[in-house]
Amino acid sequence: MSISSPPRPAPPPQAILGRRRPSARLVRRATPYGFLSPTIVLLVVLMLTPIVMVIGYSVLDRVVTTNESTFVGFDNYAEVLTDPVFFTAVRNTAFFAGVSVVVHFVLGLGFALLLNTKLLGARTKALFRMVYILPWLFTAAIIAVLWRLLLSPNGVVNYLLQTDVEWLANPDLALPTVTFINIWAGYPFFMVSLLAGLQGIPQDLYEAATVDGASWRQRFVHVTVPQLWPIIISMALLDFIWTTQQFALIWLTTGGGPIVATEVFTTFTYKLAFASYEFSVAAASAVIVLLLSMVLAFFYVRHQKAWD
Amino acid sequence: MGKGTRTRMLVAVGVVASLGLTAACGSGDADEGSEGGGDVTLEFSQWWEPELPEGSFRTLMDRFEEENPGITVELLSGPYSSTKEQVVAGAATGTISDVVGLDGAWVSDFVDQGAIADLSKTMSDAGFDDTQLASQVQIDGSTYMIPVVNFVYPMFTNDDLLAKAGVTAPPTNRTEFTDAAEAVTAAGGASGWILPLSLEAPNGIQNDVMSWVWASGGSMLDDEGKPDVTNDDVRSGVEFIKQLWDVDVIAPGAATMKEQDKVEEFTNGRVGMMIDSLAHINLIRERNPELKFSIAAIPAEDGYTSERGMPYASWGIGIAENSENKEEAWKLVEFLMSEETNAELSTMANAFPGNTESVPAFVEGDELFQTAFDIWQQGYPANEFTGLPVAEDLMRTFSEELQRTLTEGQPVDTTLSNVQEAWMQEF
Amino acid sequence: MTSDTLAGPARRAAGLRRPTRTKSRERRLKVGAVVALVLGALFAGLPVLWMLSSSFKSNTEIFEFPPRLITDNFSFGAYAAILTDPTKVRFFVNSYIVSLSVTLLTLLVAVLAAYAFSRYVFPLKKSLNVVIVSVQAVPPITLLIPYFGLMVTLGLYNTYLGLILTYLVFTLPYAIIMMTGYFNTLPRELDEAVKVDGGGAMTALWRILVPISVPGLVSVGIYTFMIAWNEYLFALTLTRTEDRRTVPIGISLLMGQHSFEWNEMMAMSVLGSVPVLFLFLFFQRYFMGGMTAGAVKA
Repeated sequence: MSISSPPRPAPPPQAILGRRRPSARLVRRATPYGFLSPTIVLLVVLMLTPIVMVIGYSVLDRVVTTNESTFVGFDNYAEVLTDPVFFTAVRNTAFFAGVSVVVHFVLGLGFALLLNTKLLGARTKALFRMVYILPWLFTAAIIAVLWRLLLSPNGVVNYLLQTDVEWLANPDLALPTVTFINIWAGYPFFMVSLLAGLQGIPQDLYEAATVDGASWRQRFVHVTVPQLWPIIISMALLDFIWTTQQFALIWLTTGGGPIVATEVFTTFTYKLAFASYEFSVAAASAVIVLLLSMVLAFFYVRHQKAWD
Repeated sequence: MGKGTRTRMLVAVGVVASLGLTAACGSGDADEGSEGGGDVTLEFSQWWEPELPEGSFRTLMDRFEEENPGITVELLSGPYSSTKEQVVAGAATGTISDVVGLDGAWVSDFVDQGAIADLSKTMSDAGFDDTQLASQVQIDGSTYMIPVVNFVYPMFTNDDLLAKAGVTAPPTNRTEFTDAAEAVTAAGGASGWILPLSLEAPNGIQNDVMSWVWASGGSMLDDEGKPDVTNDDVRSGVEFIKQLWDVDVIAPGAATMKEQDKVEEFTNGRVGMMIDSLAHINLIRERNPELKFSIAAIPAEDGYTSERGMPYASWGIGIAENSENKEEAWKLVEFLMSEETNAELSTMANAFPGNTESVPAFVEGDELFQTAFDIWQQGYPANEFTGLPVAEDLMRTFSEELQRTLTEGQPVDTTLSNVQEAWMQEF
Repeated sequence: MTSDTLAGPARRAAGLRRPTRTKSRERRLKVGAVVALVLGALFAGLPVLWMLSSSFKSNTEIFEFPPRLITDNFSFGAYAAILTDPTKVRFFVNSYIVSLSVTLLTLLVAVLAAYAFSRYVFPLKKSLNVVIVSVQAVPPITLLIPYFGLMVTLGLYNTYLGLILTYLVFTLPYAIIMMTGYFNTLPRELDEAVKVDGGGAMTALWRILVPISVPGLVSVGIYTFMIAWNEYLFALTLTRTEDRRTVPIGISLLMGQHSFEWNEMMAMSVLGSVPVLFLFLFFQRYFMGGMTAGAVKA
C-alpha cells in the first residue's frame, strides 16, 4: 500500500498536459498550505505586524514619546548590552526559567503518574485531579496577592514554620521564593498534558513489556518515557519560553526587587518602557529576547526532524 | 483528494471568516464621542470611582450633566496600578479620553509625549480665575495638571502601643521618634516604625523617606529644580533612616512592602508609628474600631522650629491634547474645582480640597481630621517629585540605592552620589 | 503468562511465600501512592484553602497574627457584594464568552494546522515551525502599544472579537505544537486507510484523527481556556468600557490606590474558578478514555 497517493493511476514523470493532471498535483501541493491558511493569516496580521513594528522601534530613537524619531542603528542594542542590570536579568531569568521548567516537569510527571495509577479507584483519582489543577485557575494578580499574604513576615507560612523569615524581602531568598511561587502556579500545565499523553500510550506496549519480564521501573524507563518524550520536549521548550515571559507574577510580588534580586527580562523591559519611557531601548531588549528564543526554537525543530 | 473536499474546506474557512466579520460589525461600539447633533460625550478616565462610596462619583457627574445640558460624561474607571501605562498607550494610539485623572509624578513625561494639553491657555481663554486653585503642576511655566484633591501624609501613632511602651505623647523631633520606636519595639509584639520600599510602586521614597527631609524644611533639589541629593538635609534624613534600621525598629519585609500592606499592619496593631495618607483614617476606623490612634506632624530635626513641609499626593486632572471637546472638558474640570463640588469630593475621598475656599465636611467635629487640617495649614505642601521627569523612576532608583545601604551596608555617601548621578542623567 | 504464574503451583507447593509478598507489596505501594497523593494535594490545595478562608473574613482579620482559618466575623458578605453588583457579574459573563470562543476557534484552527504539519512534507515547513514557536517569545509588554494601535486601526478596539482574536494568536502556537505532536503519535495507516477507501484529506482528519485525539484536544482546550480566562494585560488595554471587561480586570479594580478589598478579591477569584472547575470535571472523562488500539491492529 503506497503512502499518500490518490486513488488514481500515477501520471508518468513527464506528464502529458491533460486537463486534470496539473490541477491535481497543484491541489496536492497546495493542500498543506490550505490547512495552514487560517493560522498563517492570523499570525501574519496579528503577530508579525506588531513584531516588525517593534523591530522597527528598536532601531529608531525616542519612539512613542515623540513624533520625530531618527534612525540610530544599533545604538539601542548597545545600550541594552552594556547595562549591567541586563546581565543580572539574564542570569535571574535563566535561574527562574530553568528551575521552574525542571521542577514543573518532575512534579507534573509525578502527579500525572499518580493520577493515572491503577492502584487507586477512579473516584479517588477524579477528586484529586480536581485538587491538583487548582493553581491553574487563578490569574497572576491573585496568585501574587495570595502568596504575598502567605509569605508575609506575619503570614501563615512563617506561622506554620515557626520562623520569621522575610521570604520576599530578603535579597538572597527572593528569587528562589518567586521561582517557587511560579512552580506552584504552573505545574498543572505539565501535569494535564502528560496525563493526556499517558492516555495515549497503547496498553499492549505495557503488556508486551510485562511479558518480557520488565519490572515497574523498567516499564517506566523503556515504555512510558519514550512514548512521552516528544510531548516532554515540546512542553519543556514551550514552558521555558513562556516562563521567560512571566511578568505579572514577579512584578506584583517584588517589583524586580529587592534591589535587583528578582529582576528578569520582562521587568527590566517593562521598566525601560513605562518607567523610563525608553521605548526604543525596551524594543531592543525585546528583540534580543526574541532572537535568543528563536535559537531555542530552531534547535527544537531540528530535534523534531530527528523524530519524524 | 477531490474538489469536493477542497470546496468543503473553503466553505469552512469562509464561514469562520464571515462569522468573524459579523461579530466585528455587530459589536463595534468602539466609536467615540461624536453623536449626531450638538451633543457631546466626554470620556473621563480615572481610578477614583471604585475608591469612593458606591455611586457617589456618578451622582456628581449627573449633577454636572444637569447643569450643562448637551454634555454627557462617560466614566471609565481602571485599576490604579495600570493607569499610567494605559494613559501612555492611549495617547500613543489616539484613544485617550478627553479628561484624564493624573498623578503629579507622571506629568512631565506625558507632556513630553504630547499627551496632555496646556491648561494655562485653556484657563485664560475661559477667563478662569486661578487664584482659587491651591496648586497647579506646571512645566516651563504652563499648567498641565490641576490637583483636584490632596491626600496628605501626616504621622499616625498607635496610642495604645505607645502607652504600653511608656511614651505619653507622639514624638515631635527625630530623637524623640527614635526613642519612642525603640521603646515600642522593646515592649514586644510590634515594631516601632514601618517603611514600604517596594520597587513596583516606589512612592515610599516620596511619602516615607523624603518626607523626613521636607519636614525639616530641606529640599532634594537646587534652586533651578535640578537634583541635589548630596546636600546635608538629604544626607541627614537618609542617615536617620539608616540609624532606625540598625536599631531594628523597622517592621520586617521593608524591601518589598507596599503602602497597602503598611496600612494593614498598622490596623492590626503591629506597628507603633507610620507616615500614611489621611485617606486611611476612615479605613482604619472601619476595619479596627478598637484601635486608638492619633495624628501628628512628622517630626523634624531636633531644634527645627520653622514651617514644616507636609508630603501629599493628589488626584490630579488634565485634558488630552488631541481631545476634540476641549471646551466642554474644561467645563468638567471647572465643575470639579468649584468650591461646593470640590468640598463634597474632598469629603467623599477623605482628602483636602484643591480649592482654597473649600472646607470638607469631615473637618468640623472630627478631632483627627481637624488636627490634620491644622497641621496642613501650619505647614506647606511639599512634594518635590511632582513635575519631575520620570519621577516614578527617580524614586525607584533611590529605593534601590537605599536598599543597598540598608541591607548591604553601602555607605550613605556612595548611595547619595549614585542617586545624584543617575538622576542628573534624566535632566 | 508471567513467570510468577508459571512458578505458581510449584511455589505454592513449597509454602505460599510469593502470593503474600505480592499482595503486601501491592498494599505498600498503594499506601505509598495515597500518601504521595495527599502530600501533593496539600501542596496544591492549601493556598487555595487559604484563599477560600480569606474570602469569608473581614478585611482586617485577613492580616491578623496568629492567623486562623475561620474567624469570628465569618460572613458571606464579600460574595454578596459581588453577586449583587451587575457590573461584576457582567465581568464573569464576558470572561466566559471570550474564553469559550477562543477555545473553540483555537481547536479548530490548530487541528487544521497540525494536520498539515503532521501528515505533509512541504517547503517552508521547518521555517514555519520555527516562526510559530518563536513568535511567542516577544515580551507582550513591548508588543502592547503597536498591537494596540493595530487593533484600533482594524476597528477591533473594545470588542469581544478583538480579545478573541488576540488570545487566539497567543494560544495557537502551543495548540499547534501539541496537536502536531499528538497526531504524530497516531499511525499514518489510520488516515491512509481512509484515502485508500476513497476519502479525502478532510474526511481523514475529521472522521478519523480527531475522534481519537480527544484526550489531546481536551488538554489543549483546557489550556487555551485557562490562558484566555486569566489574561490581564491585553484584556485591560483592548477594552475600555465595563461591558467588555473580564474577571482579571474586575479583580484588579478591587486593588485601589488606597486600599484593597482583600476579601472581595478572594471571593471573586473563587467565584471565577468554581465553574471552571466543574467544566474540568465534566471534560475529565474524555481524558481518561484512552485510545482504541483496534484500528491499528487490523
